[in-house]
Amino acid sequence: MFYVYLVILAVVLALTVWVLFDTKKLSLQITAAMVIVPLLLRLLMIK
Amino acid sequence: MSQEFWLFVLMIGVFAAGCFALKWPVSVSMLLAATAGALAGGVQDPVRHLVEGTFGYVDTILTIATAMMFMTGFRDSGALEALTAAVIKKFHKWPGVLMVLLTFVIMVPGMITGSSTASVLTAGAVVAPMFASMGISTVDAGALISIAAILGMIAPPVNIPAMIIGGGIDMPYVGFELPLVLLTFPLAVVFALWFGWRKVRHMDRTKVLASLDFSTLSRYGGWRLFSPIILIFVLMVLDKVVPRVFGLGMPLIFIIGTVSTWVTGKRFNIVQSAKKSIEDVLPVLGILVGVGMFIQIMTATGVRGFIVVNALSVPPALLYAMIAISIPLFGAISAFGSASVLGVPFMLALLGRDQIIAAAALSLIAAIGDFMPPTALAAIFAAKVVGLEKYGTVLKKLVIPTLIIIVYAILFIVFSKQIRAVL
Amino acid sequence: MQKHRITAIVCFAGALVASALAGASFLSMRKPDLIVRGPGVTEKKMLSEWFSGLKGTAGDTEVYVMRGSDDGASMLILGGTHPNEPAGHLAAILFIENVVPRTGTLYVIPRANASGFTANDPQEGAPQRFTIQTPNGPRVFSYGSRATNPIHQWPDPNVYIHASSGQTLSGSETRNLNRGYPGRPDGTLTEKVCYGIVQLIRQQKVTITVDLHEASPEYPVINAIVAHPKAMQLASDTVLGLEMQDIKISLEPSPVNLRGLSHRELGDFTDTLPVLMETANASQGRLRGRTDEALVLTGKDKWYVRAAKLGRLYVPYDEHGHPLEERVGRHVTAISELMNSWNLEHPEMPLEVEGVPDYEGLLTKGVGAYLLPPK
Ligand SMILES: [Zn+2]
Repeated sequence: MFYVYLVILAVVLALTVWVLFDTKKLSLQITAAMVIVPLLLRLLMIK
Repeated sequence: MSQEFWLFVLMIGVFAAGCFALKWPVSVSMLLAATAGALAGGVQDPVRHLVEGTFGYVDTILTIATAMMFMTGFRDSGALEALTAAVIKKFHKWPGVLMVLLTFVIMVPGMITGSSTASVLTAGAVVAPMFASMGISTVDAGALISIAAILGMIAPPVNIPAMIIGGGIDMPYVGFELPLVLLTFPLAVVFALWFGWRKVRHMDRTKVLASLDFSTLSRYGGWRLFSPIILIFVLMVLDKVVPRVFGLGMPLIFIIGTVSTWVTGKRFNIVQSAKKSIEDVLPVLGILVGVGMFIQIMTATGVRGFIVVNALSVPPALLYAMIAISIPLFGAISAFGSASVLGVPFMLALLGRDQIIAAAALSLIAAIGDFMPPTALAAIFAAKVVGLEKYGTVLKKLVIPTLIIIVYAILFIVFSKQIRAVL
Repeated sequence: MQKHRITAIVCFAGALVASALAGASFLSMRKPDLIVRGPGVTEKKMLSEWFSGLKGTAGDTEVYVMRGSDDGASMLILGGTHPNEPAGHLAAILFIENVVPRTGTLYVIPRANASGFTANDPQEGAPQRFTIQTPNGPRVFSYGSRATNPIHQWPDPNVYIHASSGQTLSGSETRNLNRGYPGRPDGTLTEKVCYGIVQLIRQQKVTITVDLHEASPEYPVINAIVAHPKAMQLASDTVLGLEMQDIKISLEPSPVNLRGLSHRELGDFTDTLPVLMETANASQGRLRGRTDEALVLTGKDKWYVRAAKLGRLYVPYDEHGHPLEERVGRHVTAISELMNSWNLEHPEMPLEVEGVPDYEGLLTKGVGAYLLPPK
């Protein structure tokens, strides 16, 4: 289940990065950047 | 005044300035408020603390993100519209009963998962168009959906705030069912009729029926079209009943549901749909991340202790008033956080009451936190599913119901022994 | 390049930088602390030697075996069940570095939840480590998370169901070592560690098991020994013995309906006599103020002083706080008193040790005086 959840997390992370580079709204870009940090650190199994 | 007081003023001040004066999003304002608090409070290793706080919500982020993907997929497949048409056609003759039933339906996902967001984004999203076609205004529908969602989150079998409060005083989550039923279902009936009764009594049935679109329904058939929501429901129940075998967890259940919407209805681009849902939900995920940072810095700097000890400092006569005010207010940051940070100390201060009934009532008060801006998860998502841009109008409609819920819960605490005697 | 592309790159780079900075800090907790083999340690083993299912996992942890020259009773000392309760962790380390058994055997597990030492609980604002000054220079110890690191066990279920009783608790308790006993060989990592500890107790026929904890000052069970019915006599003798030394400690029976805890399940599922001990740790409480290394070491906290005046606490609390040496001293002295009580009743099978740091000495000289120089 651990790895299944890492895959789900990776999907959410990838979509978030996509939104970050796709949107024209700066506020949404900053928000996306904030959300990316915990998702990335969990995906890399650091935290 | 203590240093913690001024730090608290600073953090709230930066947040308010960012949010209201500069019109920054809540997430960014929270980030800046937490950063200001960390720097002014002399927190060592501030980046580590800011990032660490966000990890309190990683699981919640996954649940919300996947629930949103499912809801978007269910809508894009045409199932949502078709389900509305089918239900209204069947039940339009008994609008009062239908109102109450639909309110119970919204509660179900929250009852099973313990999450108000799950309720709003699944059953709430399904029911919202039905309310609309019954003539209920979007604002009223949004308010009722968010109330039903928090009542569902508190109703048994799964009530996470009660588990958190119980865990803090080593009380197992046993024997909560009946008190929680008494706390939630009467309120659900009251509010269903409160928001619906006047409108649905005068509903123009022929006009309503004529406005419904049955084309998707007749093309795919109900069973096929609605199977994703049935699948989700079955998986949630299995997750609860046989967790050893089917303990998939909500994010995985929602992912399975999302994929199933892709094959059961109208064809749509699932990748675009998923991306759209993340785009819609990102502000909320950002709020959670910002709130996580905010709580971590409040804790590290001692602002949290300042709040808790001051809340406990009132004379016993005012204890109930303090419970009624401080738990929902702290819930503005996080309902679960409020259950843990304030619910547990208040529970310890309430020793001598019937513990289960008192903890059940405290959990209901903590759930009100999901109405409190800036996080206000239940209200934000309810506004989303009824199609409102801003949730402020929904919040206004929630003021009186909130007061009623709090008073009802406080009465349970005050008369916990008498209630226990009857049960 | 369009403006929004540039801002996107800047935001993304910001996220990467923040991740790198915080990530480096998180990774710094992976290195286990130095624990020096004292003169009494005869063997250093791993828990996986009793349950191979732990081998190579983050749950595997050191077991210090300290065998006396003559046979006698045995005792298992568990420190670090909750890695955010440093007095239990350090009391176990003081046994490893100071004590020499004459009769009987000591098994000491200083980091019972080894995984929990590699992370902090989110939103608790805890320090990652604290430093104790010793005559031979500073020694650094990890201040960890109450629960198993999610990196090693994730995701939590909505609701934690205790395997052997069916009792339900909030989902995050799945990673709480002291809710997982007696454990399962095929369960979660936390349950496997519980199972490994149970296997050690069974195979070594451990006579007495002491689980060392701390509690927040507002928590009713504090400065207390919690004992399984089987261990009640032993524990009440110990309480009397401690009272003779002016150490006030209360005795609580292990609640029957609260499952998964060491003092309940180890008594029900093995032949050992289990007790659990609590001291007052401000740094894990809900009422605490500024949370940092100083709070861990001194326990000085103005909000707890105020809460005590309001009558909200279950321990006396004043400006002097409850320093680490006092909390460690309580644990160490109570264990020593447990042995005395046992020996009085069981002279045929004694557990006699030398070199236990004394309470007065700890209070005056500090914990550092009893820590050995690195070899
Ligand atoms: Zn503990």
